[in-house]
Amino acid sequence: MRTFRRLMGFLRPYRVQLWGSLLLAWAAIGMSVVIPLLISRGINAIEDGNKPNLLPLALTILGAGVLRLGLTVVRRLVAGKVSLGVEFDLRQLFYAHLQKLELGFFDTQQTGQLMSRATVDLQSIRFFLGYGLVFITQSLLTIVLAAVVMFALNPLLALLGLLPAPFVVWIAARYNRVSRPAVQEVAQRVAELTAEAEENVSGIRIVKAFAREEFQLHRFQRVVKRVFDQSIYSTRLQAFYSPLIGLLPQLGIALVLLIGGRMVIEGNLSLGNLTAFYTYLLMLAGPTRMLGVAMGMAQRAVASGNRMFEIIDREPTIQSPPEPARLPAGGGRVELRDVTLRYAAAPGAEHEAVPALHDVSLAVEAGRTVALVGPSGSGKTSLVALVARLYDPSAGTVLVDGVDVRDVDVEKLRAEVAFVADDSFLFTASVAANIAYARGSATREEVEAAARLAQADAFIQELPDGYDTRVGERGLTLSGGQRQRVAIARALLADPRILILDDATSSVDATTEASIKAGLREAMAGRTTFIIAHRLSTVSLADEIIVLDHGAVVDRGTHEELMEGCGFYREIADHGLADSVYLQRDLEEREEMARL
Amino acid sequence: MSEERKAEEERRDGAGPEREDAARAEDADEARVQNPLQNIALLFGALWRLVRGQDQRGRKVRWMIGLLRPYRGRMALMFAALLVETGAGLAPPYLAGRAIDAGIRTGDLSALDWTVAAFAAAAILYTAGTAAETYLVGWVGTRALQDLRERIFVHLQGMPIGFFTRNNPGVLISRMTNDVEALQQLVTTGVVTIFSSSLTLIGVVVILLALDVKLALITFLTFPLLALASLIFRIASSGAYKATRERIAAVTAYLQESISGMRVVRSFGQETRHVDEMTELNEANRAVNMTTVYLNAAYFPAVELLAAMGTAVILLYGGSQAINGALEVGVVVAFIGYLATFFEPIQELSQLYTTYQQGMAALDKIFDLLDTAPTMVDAPGAIDPGTISGEIELDDVWFSYADEGDPEKVPKDGWVLEGVDLHVPPGQTLALVGATGAGKSTFAKLVARFYDPQKGRVLVDGHDLRGVQQTALRRQLGIVPQEGFLFSGSVRENVAFGRPAASLEEIEEAIATVGATEFVAGLPDGIETQVGERGVQLSAGQRQLVAFARALLAQPRILILDEATSNVDVRTEKTIEKGLERLLHGRTAIVIAHRLSTIRRAGKIVVLEGGKIVEQGTHEELIAARGVYARLYGAWEESAAA
Repeated sequence: MRTFRRLMGFLRPYRVQLWGSLLLAWAAIGMSVVIPLLISRGINAIEDGNKPNLLPLALTILGAGVLRLGLTVVRRLVAGKVSLGVEFDLRQLFYAHLQKLELGFFDTQQTGQLMSRATVDLQSIRFFLGYGLVFITQSLLTIVLAAVVMFALNPLLALLGLLPAPFVVWIAARYNRVSRPAVQEVAQRVAELTAEAEENVSGIRIVKAFAREEFQLHRFQRVVKRVFDQSIYSTRLQAFYSPLIGLLPQLGIALVLLIGGRMVIEGNLSLGNLTAFYTYLLMLAGPTRMLGVAMGMAQRAVASGNRMFEIIDREPTIQSPPEPARLPAGGGRVELRDVTLRYAAAPGAEHEAVPALHDVSLAVEAGRTVALVGPSGSGKTSLVALVARLYDPSAGTVLVDGVDVRDVDVEKLRAEVAFVADDSFLFTASVAANIAYARGSATREEVEAAARLAQADAFIQELPDGYDTRVGERGLTLSGGQRQRVAIARALLADPRILILDDATSSVDATTEASIKAGLREAMAGRTTFIIAHRLSTVSLADEIIVLDHGAVVDRGTHEELMEGCGFYREIADHGLADSVYLQRDLEEREEMARL
Repeated sequence: MSEERKAEEERRDGAGPEREDAARAEDADEARVQNPLQNIALLFGALWRLVRGQDQRGRKVRWMIGLLRPYRGRMALMFAALLVETGAGLAPPYLAGRAIDAGIRTGDLSALDWTVAAFAAAAILYTAGTAAETYLVGWVGTRALQDLRERIFVHLQGMPIGFFTRNNPGVLISRMTNDVEALQQLVTTGVVTIFSSSLTLIGVVVILLALDVKLALITFLTFPLLALASLIFRIASSGAYKATRERIAAVTAYLQESISGMRVVRSFGQETRHVDEMTELNEANRAVNMTTVYLNAAYFPAVELLAAMGTAVILLYGGSQAINGALEVGVVVAFIGYLATFFEPIQELSQLYTTYQQGMAALDKIFDLLDTAPTMVDAPGAIDPGTISGEIELDDVWFSYADEGDPEKVPKDGWVLEGVDLHVPPGQTLALVGATGAGKSTFAKLVARFYDPQKGRVLVDGHDLRGVQQTALRRQLGIVPQEGFLFSGSVRENVAFGRPAASLEEIEEAIATVGATEFVAGLPDGIETQVGERGVQLSAGQRQLVAFARALLAQPRILILDEATSNVDVRTEKTIEKGLERLLHGRTAIVIAHRLSTIRRAGKIVVLEGGKIVEQGTHEELIAARGVYARLYGAWEESAAA
């Protein structure tokens, strides 16, 4: 009920329109209810042989029809506007809130789940608020008005005719209740089927390599059977309830004909009034059924509302303080004091996650370039994420140029930190717009200069539309190496104090990497730079190397010092080195191969 | 199907299920209101062409009907139920009229009772018929389409690996899911609607004509008006619905992209800008939807008005006829009753056209797939080589990924392997060395017969692989690829993938051999831990360990390690290296790796360059030869010492 009230709150800006559309709907219903009365008068006129009365009656029916047309058109316009308005507001609210939530939230959510809230759930809320409410009031009013008229005409007959109505509503609501979970279960099982099909297509090489085609087919058949069973169950419900809902009003009509017919014969009822009953009951079949449907809509909307509010009610944990301190001018000195970082556990996980960083203290002087080295899961990426306050540490403090990052405006802080991640995400936009992502005001010259530094200029020139080529998910697909170079240009153009290269050249082949290094060296001047890399050739850009393991700093020093004094580093270096020697890792190839 | 529509379908194929849902909901909105009469005309036009054989889909539709053949008994029952349902559905208004004329007006009570009894009986028959028809058609449709699903699945399994490289996986999956569902829609609602609605319409027309020709003809006068309304609507709405679909698709796509790119958004602090962009898209969506609101607002009430007009006409003309004694009052009442049942079948039929189009598009797509014959089927008379010793021979092998069977057609620079000759005795470990693109992986894939060479032969135990049963060969093969792909299920099931009959001891032993016991024991449910879809619950290194154990348990005669350790971290790699000796022992192995420490131990090292073998021999021989390998090794030693 609380959810319901909150949902109704979305209508508040449209109060006037809403009441307007309700009034119009009621007036239109009035017309609909009048028509059978006019018909009954017509039949009576026929019985009386009163020909002159027919024309005015027919014209009145026509007039009522035209009036209803006008009312309904306006009503639909208003209601449609409200519905679209609610949709607009909801989507705006949801999206703006998503943009406020901290990154940690998205780590624990599946994209599909969020998407289904923004599409399916939003749809069901808007249908209910935009149309469902009108349907409910309209149906209720139709039933009430028709009932009033029928009782006025003949109470006994009215009682008989309306006898099935409550049952219809009840059965329709019940049908809705049982069939919804059944239909949802079908959807769930179809999702399983999709997942199974997906796995078999993606894993076809393994299936073939182990000659397990038949085994996989049996697995698939089991899932297919599950879909079939549930679909049949759902069909059975439909086959039972749906016709039953149609049957009851018909039986009501039969009763009216039987009893009302006798009344007419006995002279207690005019034939016209009997016809009126007959037409009313025909007319009511729609609204009674619609009431059941609208109840279902309401239930669905409340369920969707709950899912929606679950997200909207979530307070973002990373926010700018109410009165943010100014980020002092500086060269990008970074300091971590006793920092521990524990990621939020995935929903349903039994244990708290192992901390990604454990009691880390370190300082990196302004303008220095440090490399972070360590096995996967050692905390390299987590450490740099803290600098941009993508996460807040569970304990300890992160300082940039002497200020706690929690004390400054988040957007201002992030404007001073630029990332290049190993999976370089590009947005669907032109190459130029992607490079200028962090600084929309950049001129074309600046964009091209950044691209040249990142060794991206040459290949961009060769794209179909050069810098105006659309790339990203729905644009031209660039290779991994090309994407990374665009991402590097994007970071360089942001002109940050702190530059973070998280495995930024992993997809670039060795020759290109060598030339990017030259550009990077130029770009790194005057900024603090963090480099995470697995290749020693990249690590060699650094003034200093920090070795991490299990979320803690093991050692720090130059390559030579560490080779000398740090056994763990030597081990990593020995293994990592061989790659760069002869594996010309052209990633376009590797991606191709990875699919096999 | 227009090109535009096709492009639209393709776009939707690639989209995720959420986007599908949204698109489908919009479609439903559209179908509800699209110009009824024109749709009906289009539908029957399409059906007519189909029946006349002017549509090349005839073959496909016949084939689809073939899918229903096993269930023809149920289909016959369904049609019987459909007839009962339609017939019974037509009776009530007529019976109501009879009750008035034969019973009430003449004061004949028994006639009244009988007519009302017939009325109730018709209602009950209608209910029973509908229930039976709904159930039967649902059953048959679902069942037949499940069969189709399995058929597509089997067909896909038979396709060669190259097919999966060329085709977007999303599209292939869509064939088994979305397209099958579209067809199911067509079979279930389509078949029923076309028969019941057409019969109802025809029935109403016939009954009205039989009751009173003149009144019937006058009632039908509202038809041209409906057609006119439809036409106006059609002209006004052209493009509007397409525009709404495009807009909502843009909104959804933007949302999806924002979520996937959230890390970038956050790290560059660009939230405000994204909210602004979304507002723009959202606003555009609202604006374009407003047009459809105007259209809907005008159209439905117009149809309602037509009903009122019909009533007025019937009352006026029928009424004066009745007063003149040319017509009975009951007939007028019956006419008014039928008028109410008139517009529904028209709406339903018009909606059907969309279902028809979607179903047919899906049928086309499914057929495109089923018509692609698998190129690598076992040759007739392919042999089962029995347990092989693992001897491998490549005899002047030329291979290109260009999809050409004829070597003459392969472009000159398209060759990946160019005339490779090599002999690997049983039990030997062969290491392949070379730059990416030199042909190492391709070499391994030819041995697994994922592809056939365009020229030359690949022989195992002296049998040309083209003449060997594929499963018989692969059952004796173990492959560990770069990315350890796991199937959803437990660790145990994944390890036993190649040999489900293996005992728990054997599985545990395989896990122990690759050094994975410790990590498996540390999982929440140990060996029974569910690894999730594609094994996402495990780290890349852990997945790779499971993949190693899986290959080992399959007891392969030939083991292929294709860059199997290139994506794992230092620790995992060390673990794997320890078990490697055991893994390679007693079987032929092809190892593609970049760890020179692994390569050094191989019985034979082959250096590939540009698809050709440039050097081969043992480590010592190659070092002595001072060629490419010696240079690589030297560089490695140097860097290791640095």
